[in-house]
Amino acid sequence: MFVQIKDLTFNYKNSRKPLFENLSLGFKQGEVTVILGQSGSGKSTLLRLIAGLEIPARGSISIDRAVMNDSLRFVQPEKRGVGLVFQDYALFPHMTVEKNIKFGLHKMSRKQKQNRMEELLTLVGMEEFASRYPYELSGGQQQRVALARALAPNPSLIMFDEPFSNLDSKLQEQIRDDLKDIIKLTGITSIFVTHDEEDARAIGDRIVLMHDGKIQEAGRPEAVFKKNREKLSLAYV
Amino acid sequence: MLYLIRKMRSQFNSWALLSFIFSILIILPALLIMVQLFAESNENWEHIKEFMLKNYIINSVTLVIFTGLFTVIIGVCAAWLVTAYTFPLQRFFKWGMILPLAIPPYIGAYTYHGILNYTGVIQTNLRNHFDIKVDQKFFDIMNIPGAIFIFTLFLYPYVFIITRSFLENQSSSLIENARILGKSSFQTFIQVVLPISRTAIVGGVSLVILEVFNDYGVVKYFGIQTFSTAIFQAWFGMGDIQSAIKLAGTLMVIVVFILIAEKLIRGRKRYSYSTSKVRPLQPKELKGWKKYSVLSLFLTWFAFAFLIPSIQLLQWVYMTYDVILNEVFLDLIWNSVFVASIGSALIVITALIIANFSRLSKGWFSQFFSKITVLGYSLPGAVIAIGVLTLFLALDQKVIVLYEWIGLEPTLVLSLSISMLIFAYVVRFLAVGYNSIESGFEKVGTAFTDASRTLGMSVTKTFFKVDIKMIKGAVAGGFILVFVDILKELPLTLILQPFNFYTLATKTFQYASDERIHEASVSSIVIIFISALSIFFLHKVLEKEPK
Amino acid sequence: MHKKNLFTTIIMVLIVAVIMAGCGKSNDGASSGNDKAASKEEKNSGEVNLYTSRHYDVDDQIFADFTKETGIKVNVIKGKEDELIERLSREGKATKGDLFFTSDAGRLHWAKEKDLLQSVESETLNKNIPENLADKDKQWYGLTKRARVIVYSKDKVDPSELSTYEALTEDKWKGKVLIRSSENIYNQSLVSSFISLNGKEEAKNWAEGIVKNMARDPQGGDRDQAKGIVAGEGDVAIMNSYYFGQMLNSEDPEEVKVAKQLSVFFPNQETTGTHINISGIGVTKYAKNKENAIKLMEYLSSADVQKVFAEANYEYPVNKEVEPSELLKSWGEFKEQDLNLSELGENNADAVKILNEVSWK
Repeated sequence: MFVQIKDLTFNYKNSRKPLFENLSLGFKQGEVTVILGQSGSGKSTLLRLIAGLEIPARGSISIDRAVMNDSLRFVQPEKRGVGLVFQDYALFPHMTVEKNIKFGLHKMSRKQKQNRMEELLTLVGMEEFASRYPYELSGGQQQRVALARALAPNPSLIMFDEPFSNLDSKLQEQIRDDLKDIIKLTGITSIFVTHDEEDARAIGDRIVLMHDGKIQEAGRPEAVFKKNREKLSLAYV
Repeated sequence: MLYLIRKMRSQFNSWALLSFIFSILIILPALLIMVQLFAESNENWEHIKEFMLKNYIINSVTLVIFTGLFTVIIGVCAAWLVTAYTFPLQRFFKWGMILPLAIPPYIGAYTYHGILNYTGVIQTNLRNHFDIKVDQKFFDIMNIPGAIFIFTLFLYPYVFIITRSFLENQSSSLIENARILGKSSFQTFIQVVLPISRTAIVGGVSLVILEVFNDYGVVKYFGIQTFSTAIFQAWFGMGDIQSAIKLAGTLMVIVVFILIAEKLIRGRKRYSYSTSKVRPLQPKELKGWKKYSVLSLFLTWFAFAFLIPSIQLLQWVYMTYDVILNEVFLDLIWNSVFVASIGSALIVITALIIANFSRLSKGWFSQFFSKITVLGYSLPGAVIAIGVLTLFLALDQKVIVLYEWIGLEPTLVLSLSISMLIFAYVVRFLAVGYNSIESGFEKVGTAFTDASRTLGMSVTKTFFKVDIKMIKGAVAGGFILVFVDILKELPLTLILQPFNFYTLATKTFQYASDERIHEASVSSIVIIFISALSIFFLHKVLEKEPK
Repeated sequence: MHKKNLFTTIIMVLIVAVIMAGCGKSNDGASSGNDKAASKEEKNSGEVNLYTSRHYDVDDQIFADFTKETGIKVNVIKGKEDELIERLSREGKATKGDLFFTSDAGRLHWAKEKDLLQSVESETLNKNIPENLADKDKQWYGLTKRARVIVYSKDKVDPSELSTYEALTEDKWKGKVLIRSSENIYNQSLVSSFISLNGKEEAKNWAEGIVKNMARDPQGGDRDQAKGIVAGEGDVAIMNSYYFGQMLNSEDPEEVKVAKQLSVFFPNQETTGTHINISGIGVTKYAKNKENAIKLMEYLSSADVQKVFAEANYEYPVNKEVEPSELLKSWGEFKEQDLNLSELGENNADAVKILNEVSWK
């Protein structure tokens, strides 16, 4: 397993009941996993835990066989080499697209940074927008930039938090397909979080069904959907 | 246990350390005073309790309740009118209504008394030109209603600023919905605007209340006995520090009570709904009689709160400038601006560090730090001054050995230097800068910080590359608010000034306390001018910046 | 990683330290710059540090003259009297203050009580300053003198109706007496003097009588009491003599007009005498420049300086060789309370309590 979560327990401040209790889960290298669940099921928090933005109470997380946290260690998020595309993209409003993408590039010459930036803009098809500010872009364009920014440092793992929730439905399909292509192209291990069944079906190599902090089911999309038809339709009425 | 250690290690960094150091420094002066709170009460305290305490409470509470009420009415109405409507001069009033903040209440009090008293401009003209002699009762301002009038005139901007920026940024969809649903403007105001801006209003009015509790200048000049005059009287008048501290302690209990009440009302709501889609409210044009009545209301209020006192002061300046203005006076301006700039810069740095730390780490420990910042603001300036003095004297005693070792004669270095004064400003006004910066952080949220960290930037790098740039408006705003506060500050400066060091505020006080109000006008007008300029700058530069 | 954190910590602490040092330094720089400038012009004979609650510009002028004459630089902290006392006592042995200068004997006495002053023997001072205007133990000396007088409306009051402070408590004056709040030290010292002369009982009766006869709740300063008479709120006011002098010479023509409708009356001429007070000076207990301090005191008591010193503020000189200004002479000579002014301070606490007990606002 590329990412291995073991016996993870986490609770938010001010809440007695832990969100996760002894949660274990693995992700294979190069696989696109979609975590599907209602809002409040804890799926976004799981991403934040993997990224190191939240500190678990117990349990361990390792990425690429390196322990990120256990009872002794806690690797800060900036040292984990994990890419994360935020729900509302969190593009830095005071920087141009170019600066946003270059933000995560360290220990590179100016030339290298420029090349990498251009490479990524081409990948997401945004070559002409390098000098724009985020507020001058549409939602879909912002999302592409956010993706480019997350991919730029060459992370071993990229995660998406509700990537389509801020887009209108027509655009959504188009972008979903583009995104899928880009990811396949790079072959990077990816984790998506969404509440939309359609998205899950369209993108995922594997689906993890999550409810109330617990994993209900995990496996191939067809199998998961077949088995849980009833439950799912209830949950998404 | 292992996890606990790991948790501490994962959260412990330079931010935590610095926050810890600054918080301790800030809490120390208050602690040094508070240890004396538990001393046994003495004869004076019994005397105070028997003859005066009830009076202090009644007077202070009366002042607070009525000033609070009036500042809310005026501040909220004005904020609503300038954001929801357009009318002539509306763009000016958007920041013009903040200008009265440039006039310290004590100067306002001197000035209004000067205008209204028997030899003041109104009565003099009535007498000399119309031969009208008026009943003094109608012109008597030196009483509790008069003090409420003065406080309301010069403190309402606190409510105005917070409510206005809230309405401008946060409320547009709700208010537009109310309009679409067919509510009249008045109904919208009562049913939507008031309830949703409740938290902002409470935030503003609690600043007003703290200012009123701490005021010494106005109540002393008007001869009203309140907690702050009582603290001075007991401490300095009776020489009884214990009774003074018991009074200060009583005051602190009241203040803490108010702050808790504010928190409870605020509940889990924040001043901002953190959506990234902030859309300003589209103002509606006022027409006909409504336009003119709103305009005249604003003009009248602005005249009372800013124009009239400024013009009166200018006339006095004209009478006395030849005596007062000389190169020594330039020194005063320089001193004032110098200490205010350094003080504000330090406060902003301290506030940034503590606010950033307590924002990013969610433990009780960091929340505790953020609460400490308010402490200084809730204590009277004189109490802080003595606490700081005690602290610095103790420090001096400790380092005297060091001085000797370096070869200096054993003497007071720290407690006679200007750093003591500046440190005291930091303790006193940290809350002002902190509030501004904290609300800036709240508006931005943590998403950008998280994004930066997943892109490989440490907390500190993120702070300099992302966080500080995104809240630079709030930083500058905090700087300017603190700057103006320090410029106006009096009791603390008086006690802690080094040799041959005077500021505009202390000079104003010196003349005014000798009942030479006219001579006090020159330094007063310069304070007002610099403060007004800062407020103008705040508006022009910061509010125009693209989001 | 931890190394890096430590590094940033150190950097940030350094920044703060540099800023702090910067403020300290720039101040030192400014003052040492002044010192240099001063020592170039004058022979350098050291300095003397003064804590003063007087804010008159003439004081600065006189200090400058003193520096010119002696080469001793005068460093000044101006503040409120009570807070300066608190500061002195907090500073203790380490204080830099050499002299404490304030108005009102009550305050000076209090400084003495707190063990902040020391006795000074100087023939010049003994010669220049009458015994009753100095502390019994020579810990402080009066430098200027003022009387707390009755000011009355020329139109409404015939001076023959006036006699004593005590007479103002008679029913005749009901609703006609103007006086400021009891928080003010001048009123406290007035009551203290009555305690000394007539006993606590009588002093309290007097305060009660005045409260009963007040024209309005006490408000404003001494000048406001005078204005109150002309405005028709009362007929007589108790105020310090120099305020009346200031009003007669005010920049504001309206104030002059007010003062011209009033006149000064020195009460208790047949009995205990008019209440006087002083502004005075003492050497601090831990003064580092005691000799210079005494030089400055002697200078301030000398005939030439006394003339300027007192006249500028319409006060009476303490030095018997010096005549009061023409204006003060025109008010006439008067009999003073026969009292060592130390007693004003000794009775202050009792006076404050009496004033509170009779609800004198």
